[in-house]
Amino acid sequence: MSHDDLRREVRDWLAAHWTGLGSVGQSMWETNDAMRAWYTKVFEARWSVTGWPEIWFGRGFSDEETRIVIEEFARVGAPGAGQDRFNLPANTLLAFGNDALRITLIPGLLKREITTCLLYSEPGAGSDLAGVRTRVERQGDTFVVNGQKVWTSGAASADYGMLIARTDWDVPKHSGLSFFFLPMKQPGVEVRPLRQITDEAHFNEVFITNAVMPVDNLVGGLNQGWRVLQTALAYERSVMGANARGARRGSADVVALARAAGRLNDPQVRQDIARVVALRRLNALNNARAKADLEQGTSSSIMSLGKLAMSRILHEEARVRTAIIGAESLLAGDAHPVADDVNFLALNAYFTSIGGGTDQIQKNIIGERVLGLPKEPELDRNIPFKQVRSG
Amino acid sequence: MAITTTLEERRAIADTVRKLLADASSEKHVRAIMETPEGIDRALWSTLAALGIAGLLVPTRFGGAGLGPVELELVAEETGAALACTPFLSSSVLAAGLLTESGDEAACARLLPGIADGTTIATAALTGARGSWQAPDVTVTAADEGGTTRLSGVASYVMHAAIADVLLVIARTADGHGLFEVDPRADGVAIEALSTFDRTLRLGRITFARTPARRIGTAGWPAVEAALRLALVARAGEQAGGARRIFDMTVEYTRNRIQFGRPIGGFQAIKHMAAELLLEAESATSAARDAAQQLAQQTQGADEAIDMAAFACADAFAQIAATAIQMHGGIAFTWEHPAHLYLRRARAYSYLLGSSGSHRERFVTRIAAQPEDVRIAS
Repeated sequence: MSHDDLRREVRDWLAAHWTGLGSVGQSMWETNDAMRAWYTKVFEARWSVTGWPEIWFGRGFSDEETRIVIEEFARVGAPGAGQDRFNLPANTLLAFGNDALRITLIPGLLKREITTCLLYSEPGAGSDLAGVRTRVERQGDTFVVNGQKVWTSGAASADYGMLIARTDWDVPKHSGLSFFFLPMKQPGVEVRPLRQITDEAHFNEVFITNAVMPVDNLVGGLNQGWRVLQTALAYERSVMGANARGARRGSADVVALARAAGRLNDPQVRQDIARVVALRRLNALNNARAKADLEQGTSSSIMSLGKLAMSRILHEEARVRTAIIGAESLLAGDAHPVADDVNFLALNAYFTSIGGGTDQIQKNIIGERVLGLPKEPELDRNIPFKQVRSG
Repeated sequence: MAITTTLEERRAIADTVRKLLADASSEKHVRAIMETPEGIDRALWSTLAALGIAGLLVPTRFGGAGLGPVELELVAEETGAALACTPFLSSSVLAAGLLTESGDEAACARLLPGIADGTTIATAALTGARGSWQAPDVTVTAADEGGTTRLSGVASYVMHAAIADVLLVIARTADGHGLFEVDPRADGVAIEALSTFDRTLRLGRITFARTPARRIGTAGWPAVEAALRLALVARAGEQAGGARRIFDMTVEYTRNRIQFGRPIGGFQAIKHMAAELLLEAESATSAARDAAQQLAQQTQGADEAIDMAAFACADAFAQIAATAIQMHGGIAFTWEHPAHLYLRRARAYSYLLGSSGSHRERFVTRIAAQPEDVRIAS
């Protein structure tokens, strides 16, 4: 089929079926009946993962053909296509899961009937994620899980948690990890909301006590979890660089904020505005250049910079917004929505500069993987994990 | 203006210039040229002219290559990386740009072929002692004396003034600004070479005392602004190229320099500086290329893209060149090490053709005039 024919086919299908979803979020964590119905329709018409093989719900399309499908969906604002690029759990399963687990979970994931959360960080394993101490042991035909996870979004509603846990304590830390899909709705899994510095509670702590799962829920092989996690993390970081969490409640842009505050004629404020507006535009230009490089088949170092750039943008914008409103930033609450907004942005900027790998870890990664600088010495790399110092 | 070359052709142009400059504008070469009285490498300039670089912006009917901002920017990345000592920015960009923008066919036919083949070095006197490159700063005035136009006043920060064969001068007239051609050997022209912080860059101050001058078309300040747009795109390209080169040299050094028994690039203090500078270097390249592309396509956003590239590339180059010296340590505090050549260039280019502060001010003025949805979508 020619590209034009394909484009026409997608257009015709969308014209016949797409009627909009109303105002629903499209994040990884949110779902509702209308969304499930739409994603199911997309799945049944085989538009969800067109780049995947036909036996795995796809059409075996080339990158270019898949891009056409994604473009046509985006043109009318319809979600659900291109999940071979954007659906983290489904991609992880296709890459590393066994057939039984793929058949059980992938259709539900693509139809949004099954939701997931990430069981990665622990109180004792943040930047040093390979130091996780959640324990998984095999007992007959099941795995038994014990431990504590933190910074888990969507844990209360998730059907499955993508779990990284320790399965061998006698080998060095990276070598004793395994990756699982843990059923969340069971007695051994307790979810407690975590109150954030923004006074919101998007994250949870997850306490796992003798939770169980079938042995099929192991993904990527016993003690092969680090490799699976690297793939999943790289994906998560690239998504964070492109779509940062910034303004909420439609906060005004910096120019409008300065105008409203009567500060748009202040030379210092004007210089600051130019700097932060430029930072955001430069990041967009960098991302566009990275995309063009990829499309031309040349590798790009720019991709790994997006998340670092975005955390700087968010902190700098918040700093400038605070300077613009000045003493009003002392105030809070519904009677002071501008102050509330600015103060929220100042605090929430840490979501991007800490979450998904701190700026400092990102700089290590850029230095080592992009610039080829020597790796940090790791005192715990070649000793059995049970001998590794913790605290 | 438009983009008339293919991506492949542009890559070939950049590769050719890069390979040529690797030999003909090596560090050793640059150091030798910057100590000469003229400060430019005439042999290199002839070679670049033969390749079509001197006439890159000159229309083909006047003997040039007839290319535009996108090709200009790519070539500038290479000349900037190599700190090439040539009149590229003064003659081929500013002067050729002014002439092309003037719409004066006779002046173009008289001057552009020589500029394009490298035999004429032209330069532009656009600013006064304050060096703002803005209209109020022009202090040269033109007066009609018995059918002869004569210029009086002082222009400063004129690139390659001392070696120029032709001076293009902006002056105040009875009805706004006008563009004039002056023979540097004419009566009433005094050219004083200024001692420069960046020795790869030559500047002069020109005093006009009832100097005879020839009016070029009816061009006024808008022609200067148009030429400055081209020159700022070229400057941004040179800054991005220079920034990238000193950055690469610095990262290479930190891979090889051993202290405490290991390469210093393995220490987070150094590694994190390198990661931050990579973001700056890539952003500078993105900004310079975007400005060139928007100018070539004459988009609505071209002016603000150029303003942004002007301050973003200047600031990135200055930060990278300055930090590069700190990352090298003592070796880069020596005259023999090339890092200071890049810092000198970076500091000079932060003010040549206008400061970052003034470009930020222009940028804000433009975006503040837009409706919010346009501003956010940009």
